Amino acid sequence: MSFLQALRYFFREAAVNLLRGWKVSLLAVLTIAVSLFIGGAFLLVSGNLASSVERWRGEMRLVIYLRPDTAEADLRRLAAEAARGPGVTSVEPVTAAAARKRFQEIFPGLSDLVAGWQEEPLPASLELGLDPRTAAAGSPARAAWVDGWRKRPEVTLVDDDREWLGQLETVVAVVRAVGLALVGGLLGAAIFTIASVIRLTAYLHHEEIGIMRLVGATEFFIRGPFYAEGLLQGLIGGGVAGGALFGLYAALHARPRGSLFSSVLALDFLSPQQVAFLVLLGAAAGLFGAVASLRREEL
Amino acid sequence: MIQFFHVSKRYPGGQAALDDVTFHLPRGQFVFLTGASGAGKTTLLRMIFRDEVPNAGQILVNGRNVASIPPSKIPYLRRTIGVVFQDFRLIARKTVFENVAYLPRILGVDLPGQKKLAYLALRRVGLAHRLNAFPPELSGGEQQRVAIARALINEPDILIADEPTGNLDPDLSREILRLFLEVNLRGTTVILATHDRETIQRVGRRVLTLDHGRLTSDQELVGTDPPVLDPLAGAAEAPAPEIPGAAETPAEETGAEPSSAATPPEDAAP
Repeated sequence: MSFLQALRYFFREAAVNLLRGWKVSLLAVLTIAVSLFIGGAFLLVSGNLASSVERWRGEMRLVIYLRPDTAEADLRRLAAEAARGPGVTSVEPVTAAAARKRFQEIFPGLSDLVAGWQEEPLPASLELGLDPRTAAAGSPARAAWVDGWRKRPEVTLVDDDREWLGQLETVVAVVRAVGLALVGGLLGAAIFTIASVIRLTAYLHHEEIGIMRLVGATEFFIRGPFYAEGLLQGLIGGGVAGGALFGLYAALHARPRGSLFSSVLALDFLSPQQVAFLVLLGAAAGLFGAVASLRREEL
Repeated sequence: MIQFFHVSKRYPGGQAALDDVTFHLPRGQFVFLTGASGAGKTTLLRMIFRDEVPNAGQILVNGRNVASIPPSKIPYLRRTIGVVFQDFRLIARKTVFENVAYLPRILGVDLPGQKKLAYLALRRVGLAHRLNAFPPELSGGEQQRVAIARALINEPDILIADEPTGNLDPDLSREILRLFLEVNLRGTTVILATHDRETIQRVGRRVLTLDHGRLTSDQELVGTDPPVLDPLAGAAEAPAPEIPGAAETPAEETGAEPSSAATPPEDAAP
């Protein structure tokens, strides 16, 4: 029998077994689908968070707030100095008056809050545009340069976007790690379920297996349909997980971007490669479960 | 064809299933293997198709030492041996055709080819018309004939039958025995295990007797009623039996290895 003939036979037998024992097969498929759905959801959230971080990194700024009494000449001098900093692509000096005006434009309902003061209520500042690559690198020289600004007497506060983006990156990493651990555990459970289902199927076929051995079937020929069954269960489970994920994504995408969650999650769906990876991971888990369940002494 | 050289088999914690068994079956012989339950008949048969391996001694089948066959090559040995059991071992949810056509399917024969081979095998046992029936729809005798068709589908060199008539009434047993004799007439070596001494007496042929794992007798019997079971003769034409008993024949004539020569040949394949 050629390899292709054997494969055809394996998958035909596997399909018959799946249909015949559809209840236990469904359990195995659902277990793997749930595992991969959760894994895919974590992949979706972390992927979208990561791309958000990437986008925000492109708009990253460093704002140096100065004392309210900073003179305009000092502001220009400090701006010129800041422009020579590492990774600084632009410097916009904002006087205290300009800051107040901007506040009133952005929050017209709150404009009274900053009006009528004897002194300017908002500080002057320097808004620095940063090269995302240099800024993200987080070199000690850059950190020292930022610290240098913090220690200067004319500076009250340095607001570095890199700091909170760094925290967000930590959140992304945690989400990924938790997702990975959860998927690992759930995949383990799915593999165990598939192995149990395959073992049960093999037990139900033990008489037939005995006859096949008797008439001269090779181990490959005897085990092939069970391996194919595990593979099919995993593939179907992966497909169901991919479909459910897309359903979730489409539902969130259709809703107005009210919450941070929906706006982050519904940015982009998984790439075709990621979906293929999920489905193949399911197939691999199914195959592994089948192989693990059919040790020689148990078949 | 089949040679046993001082073969012993002992299961862990138990007594010897086979103890120093030596014999030689030439190609085309019909042999009864008899003995009480637990005498070692099934163990001996299972060793021929490498379902068991001896603790000591050698077994050659077609010149090949079966104990040294690597596991991956065992299927190729089994494709040359047909095996029939007392309990038929048919799969109830598969049709007669599917039950019979296991080996062609394994060998990659296409569906029309499988059907043709199954039809031919079933025709030999008189069941070509039940190709699409399921085993539960058949009588015990018919089920055993399906099992024989399965064993014969590849024209095996050797046919092994372990108590094939144990579950059948005398008429059906006779029918099944006739089939085995017919298979033997076509050149297949047949080893039939049974504890039914009456059948053995009627049919005759070579008889190996096991007792507590030891080969206690190797004799050639002359049947008391051979034409009744002769596939070439009609039962109605059977003359009354004239030979009342069994006649012992020397081991040399039966093909049994004399104890002095009971060693594996030098050129035995490993």
